[in-house]
Amino acid sequence: MTRLLGRLPIAVRVPLMGAAMMLLAGLVASQQVLTALTRTQEARLEELTRQHVSGLSLALGPAVLRQDIWDVFDTLDRAARADEDHRMVLTVVANDDGIVIAASDPRRAPVDSALSDHFDLGAVPALDEISLARPDIHMRVQAPLTYQGRTVGRLVSELDVADLIDERRRAGLFLLLFNTAATGALALLGYVVMRHMLRPVDVLARRMSTDEGHPTRFTEAEIPDGDTEVARLFRTYNDMIGSVEAKADAERRLAERERLVSLGRLSSSLAHEINNPLGGLLNAADTIESYADRPDAVRRSAALLKRGLEHLRDVTKAALDHNRIEDRAASLSAQDLEDMRLLVLPEVRRMEQDLGWCIEAADPSLAAYPAGPVRQIVLNLLLNAISAAGRGGSVSFAVQTRPGGVQLDILDDGPGLSAAARDRLMTSAPASAAGGLGLRIVREMVNGLGGRIESARQDGVTRISITLPFAAPEV
Amino acid sequence: MTRRRFLAGSAAVSTSLVAGTSSAQPAFRFGLTPVFLDNDAIVVEQIRSTLATAMGRPIELLQRRTYQEVTALLLEGAIDASWLCGYPFLRWKESLSLVAIPVWRGRPLYRSYLIAARNDPAHDLASLEGGIHAFSDPDSNSGWLVTASDLARMNQTPDSLFRRTIFTDGHRNVVRAVANGLTRSGSVDGYVWEVLSQVEPDLAGRTRVVSRSEWFGFPPIVCRSDRVNAAEIEAFSRALLSMQDLDAGRVMLRTLHLDGFARPELQLFDGIAARMAEVGPQP
Repeated sequence: MTRLLGRLPIAVRVPLMGAAMMLLAGLVASQQVLTALTRTQEARLEELTRQHVSGLSLALGPAVLRQDIWDVFDTLDRAARADEDHRMVLTVVANDDGIVIAASDPRRAPVDSALSDHFDLGAVPALDEISLARPDIHMRVQAPLTYQGRTVGRLVSELDVADLIDERRRAGLFLLLFNTAATGALALLGYVVMRHMLRPVDVLARRMSTDEGHPTRFTEAEIPDGDTEVARLFRTYNDMIGSVEAKADAERRLAERERLVSLGRLSSSLAHEINNPLGGLLNAADTIESYADRPDAVRRSAALLKRGLEHLRDVTKAALDHNRIEDRAASLSAQDLEDMRLLVLPEVRRMEQDLGWCIEAADPSLAAYPAGPVRQIVLNLLLNAISAAGRGGSVSFAVQTRPGGVQLDILDDGPGLSAAARDRLMTSAPASAAGGLGLRIVREMVNGLGGRIESARQDGVTRISITLPFAAPEV
Repeated sequence: MTRRRFLAGSAAVSTSLVAGTSSAQPAFRFGLTPVFLDNDAIVVEQIRSTLATAMGRPIELLQRRTYQEVTALLLEGAIDASWLCGYPFLRWKESLSLVAIPVWRGRPLYRSYLIAARNDPAHDLASLEGGIHAFSDPDSNSGWLVTASDLARMNQTPDSLFRRTIFTDGHRNVVRAVANGLTRSGSVDGYVWEVLSQVEPDLAGRTRVVSRSEWFGFPPIVCRSDRVNAAEIEAFSRALLSMQDLDAGRVMLRTLHLDGFARPELQLFDGIAARMAEVGPQP
């Protein structure tokens, strides 16, 4: 039940609970009224019985003392006849020894019989113990008969309380009907009112659950009138949507900038890469020009020229591939990793570094991943490692197939990640304004591929390991 | 009869004449006993006003619960006359004289009834043995003496035959006691029972007559013997004897289910005297 209630939307649950509380309040109120009525009736009955008993006591005293059967009967008979409400069903008067002197109906309690033969005296309440708890239309009460200060006998009366019980039953029935109707109406009203009040919350919840990924603002017409908290909630929601959109926009622009930055760094090293062999190539061209009549020299120079130009073509192609955005959804291949080597090699050389390169994964494993993000991740981390290692340092890159995924390791012997850089790479904490966003973009791309990042530093070597699962989560 | 009517008529004239000059006279004090249908104050008031009209002087009615009390009032002169049972009258016949006797169903006679509950199987006095019995008054002929003397004939007493006996101070109360089951049986004035079976059939109908006695002289109106010739007693006697000639008197007689009043004769009470002899002297 609780679970069922818990599953209901708040716009239904709260009105339902309101209605339930109304019903509960109605029940409690009815119970209170009935209890009060019973108390009033008991007080009335006690007063009535007290009058009945004290009146009889007064009239019977001398006759009971004399044990005058006729006088006792005559008094009881007259009292019964004078009782217009016919409340007294039976009154039995006994002497001090519990022997019946006379009863208002002598056939029920004959003269000289034992009072205890007619009543279970232990169960007959005294005057101050009267209760209407048992729904018996004949209520019994017993009282001692005193005359001139001493107890001369005992009186047991059976009173007809059918009218009181009927009155209570009718009151109970009326209360039940009235309260059912009233609380039912109030509960319905409460449900409708609360439902109406909670409608904006419902609207907000629907908007949030259906607009997943593409939140839209509420129009002014959709925002409730006035400056209520609900209206403020709607406006705040609109503001939040604006912030989310602005953030996503900023991130897009930053990612683009980052790509351009790495491109800039690449272009300068590419310029070197192209410029360096140019001297050799020009020399080869000069040789061909100068020794055109020497076929062996020409052939040798032409071969040199061809190799140089092929290298230039490969480098240019790698650079072009890296920036060809439309191809970024293509599957990763060993060629992509080779491209990365070509792209960073000029920078490695410029920095006079030692580059280790170990690819132990074949195309079938690599094809599980999109080329674009992986290339961006690898290039970013390699350039970062080269920069960290410094002039004359060592950088290495390894790709291994593991059970369930592929592991990429980037190592360098630089001074290690700064705290800010580590935060950007390893956590989702807001990035500080200072410093590049390359590492944060790496993190987001790895997350996007369902992978995880580990970093470790041992013996002066910084290792960043990226593990990418084969089955990338569906996004 | 014609002579009586004439006398009654002239008495009515004379009493009405007296009534015209009666305002200063002291009240005539009349004692009533529980022989009567004493449950109805209206009847008592009717008797008082009718007698006052008939006698032409105020009447003071004194009611007492027992014959003993009324007899005492009469003997000490606290009342001028009283309606008494034949039994106490005979006990005090040296001091009391008869004034008039009611006529019921054409005769100045009545009987005693032994009654039991309607569905009681008793068929005679002996078969009521072991029960509780209701008497009217220890000084009542029909309500005590008749049954006591019947028992004496059986060599029994009320206390030996019955488990318990009670006195109810009135014949109507005997009927109430038996009808309600307080007692199994009762001794009651036959006149009262017959009248009750007409005016209160719900009450008398719950009882039945087990046996009826022989006829006795009806409870008479008596006065002290030393005042029997006093003028007011004579006037009272005339008023009673002429009651059936008065409109109010006829209404009163109808209420009492009586025909009228007659001059009493002592031998009407011989039956009661015989019964008294059978039970012997009582305290």
